[in-house]
Amino acid sequence: MNNLIDELRMKIIDTLKLEEVSPENMGEEDQLVGGELGLDSIDVLELVIMIEKDYAVKIDNKELGARVFANLKALSAYIAEESPKVTS
Amino acid sequence: MTDIRAAIAGMGLITPLGKGVEQNWHALLKGNTGNGKLTLFDTPEDLSFPVGEVSLPVPPGEFPRTHKLALIAAREAMEYADGPPDAIVMGSTTGGMSLTEILLKENNMDPALFVHHGAGSVAEYVAKELKCTGPLITVSTACSSGAAAIALALALLRTGRYRRILAGGAESLCRLTYFGFHSLQLIDAKGSHPLDRNRKGLTVSEGAGMLLLEGKTGISDTNVIEILGAGLTCDAYHPASPDPEGGGALSAMKYALEDGSIIPTEVDYVNLHGTGTIDNDLAEAKAFNRLFDREKPLVSSVKGAFGHSLSASGAIETVISAKCIETGIAPASVGCVTPDPKLHMNPLRKPVSSTIKTVLSNAFGFGGSNASLAIGRSRNRQAMEFEPPAPLEVSGLACITGAGNTSQTLNLFFKGLPCLGLLSKKKISRSLSPGVTRRLKRLSRMGLSLANGAIEDSKEDHAPDSVFFGTGWGALSETHDFLKALYETNQRFSSPTDFMGSVHNATAGRIAVKLKAKGPNITTTGGDYSFEQALMSAQLLAKHDDKPLLVLSADEFHPVLSGLFDGSVAQADTPADGGGALMVRRASKGAGPQLSPLFYENAHENPGVVSSLVQSLGGAEKINLCFATAFVGLPAASRVMGREQLDSFVQITGFNGPVIDYRRYVGEFASASAVATVLAVALSKTGMIPDALTEKEHVDLKGKGILLLGLGKFVTAVALRRKEALF
Repeated sequence: MNNLIDELRMKIIDTLKLEEVSPENMGEEDQLVGGELGLDSIDVLELVIMIEKDYAVKIDNKELGARVFANLKALSAYIAEESPKVTS
Repeated sequence: MTDIRAAIAGMGLITPLGKGVEQNWHALLKGNTGNGKLTLFDTPEDLSFPVGEVSLPVPPGEFPRTHKLALIAAREAMEYADGPPDAIVMGSTTGGMSLTEILLKENNMDPALFVHHGAGSVAEYVAKELKCTGPLITVSTACSSGAAAIALALALLRTGRYRRILAGGAESLCRLTYFGFHSLQLIDAKGSHPLDRNRKGLTVSEGAGMLLLEGKTGISDTNVIEILGAGLTCDAYHPASPDPEGGGALSAMKYALEDGSIIPTEVDYVNLHGTGTIDNDLAEAKAFNRLFDREKPLVSSVKGAFGHSLSASGAIETVISAKCIETGIAPASVGCVTPDPKLHMNPLRKPVSSTIKTVLSNAFGFGGSNASLAIGRSRNRQAMEFEPPAPLEVSGLACITGAGNTSQTLNLFFKGLPCLGLLSKKKISRSLSPGVTRRLKRLSRMGLSLANGAIEDSKEDHAPDSVFFGTGWGALSETHDFLKALYETNQRFSSPTDFMGSVHNATAGRIAVKLKAKGPNITTTGGDYSFEQALMSAQLLAKHDDKPLLVLSADEFHPVLSGLFDGSVAQADTPADGGGALMVRRASKGAGPQLSPLFYENAHENPGVVSSLVQSLGGAEKINLCFATAFVGLPAASRVMGREQLDSFVQITGFNGPVIDYRRYVGEFASASAVATVLAVALSKTGMIPDALTEKEHVDLKGKGILLLGLGKFVTAVALRRKEALF
């Protein structure tokens, strides 16, 4: 799980071009959207695509998105559970 | 000063519901929907959503669909006209994209195949077919384009310079918008049902709506239906989401009513933008309920029937609004079964007969660009005096070229040295914070940087409220990257950020967010003459309120696309890009340098264009008296034609001031004339033209102005002068 969280940190920074953010400053339980990272709904949609592409996990409605993108921990847990590509 | 009315003299429609105004109107009243299966291109099986497709076979290799759709609607609107229109104002976002994206997919890289790519080429095609030699303005403000085009046409008619203007919008389905809206999760997989409690999004569609507007003075024939007023605003909130409070939508509706001297209780029916997305319908309903806080007019959205034809929708719905008035029937919100209680609104579930004299029609788009039009039966009203447009006084300027920023560019230019090339992304972005730039590619970075530069230079107390942006080719990096990702993943994945950044008005929308500029936010496009269109639009909409306006134009060089789209770039030895920005205000005191766009004509099949130019500038004597020098834009792709026009101009006028062929210095790109204008303003402040530029000895301006000429496919003239009253 920790490996997945680390991997997600890198992928989020890369996908959203968060050049000013270092991975170690992204806490597992820090709010992802609307928090200090300055992410908004369009960033979430970029991440939705990255997650579908890289983990074959679809997040195609707002309610699910709000739950899954709450923080890194929730995101990695959902991916670990749903992805055929992740064995946890 | 005259009171000019914009009477609707003709209308044309082609939509998924049918061809022709009457067929569409009857289909709409029957409750038909145009939503159906997509056949124009393949999609992955699980990504096949309903679309609004027009039944129109277009053989491959001919003109793109948008052009065909536009012409069909235009011909219908012109059916009873006794001559060509004097001007065309077209709303277009994707232009020839439906063809371009196929060519790119097939890796077909012959520039000759892309000649109808530009959004501005739709108006050019219609103008050629209808033999219109007057100005063409293409408004590209995403989904409000068609309505914003009609708003600009209204302003243009009120100048009294043109009697008959063809205005509207056209859009064809293409992968870019289909997969783009999907990437934003804004498509309703079951087909849109706006205002319904179970709505999930929009249905992308296509079509065209065109109106022939005729300027009439002092009429009160109630059989005539007019565009009574227009309101243009910007949310200045987000590139792709509406202001949830509907602030920009409300002010657009209010301004449209004010502009037409109408009070809210006079409005009988409101045709909503009503796309069917959760956020749009909620925000628009808030605006509606705030404007009509007591008596509610009839209200519906027709997008459940027509789908959302993006830049065409505002024009199509203006035609529908006029039909409501003509027949006394308000159409139903097709597809809305149970209105969303959160909207606090009672949309019509079936057509209703009523006395309908006045309609408000809304169109909103990406970049927060809002347009609302008041349409109604001609009525007696207090005469409105429309003043002729005033010059624009420049209070600040900025440019970007291969040489660098304004001072670096001026430094080289004054020495007669070239400043062409490509400035590094890092240098372009110097005044922008990383939080801002992370989503921005080259064009938006240039735009924001230019805005910062011009505002800083102006030392104005107020930030600009309105933004007028010209771009020949728009956001090429985003467009390219979106399509590349789409094709690389077999049409499965594409970036929503690139999609919202790919619209021509994304740059102007971002500038508005940064500046909180909630006034008109207009993006114009038309190849090498895009800046001139933006300047004209700014002049038309500049108010007396003393608020500064930002007028800018920029184009980016893209290694794959620029050479395919822009024939002048293809011929250039050195790639170049950049842009120019000016802070201006409606001239009143006459203190600073003033810009007046004075002439804009299509040179196609217009042999008298240069004589017409000379005449509109007041004749040979006046030209020599007023101007010490001419800055001339000769795009490489039409250089021979441009040179002939220049020779003819010199021959007719005997003009003997130095002629500065500015593309030799700034390079080949569509917005070169914006840079040239900035350079000319800077030069006029020094009072002389240095010998390095005249190739002889320096020339003292002696209070005379500079004439900026655009030559080639179009002929344009902008006067720059230091003193009042020469024109």
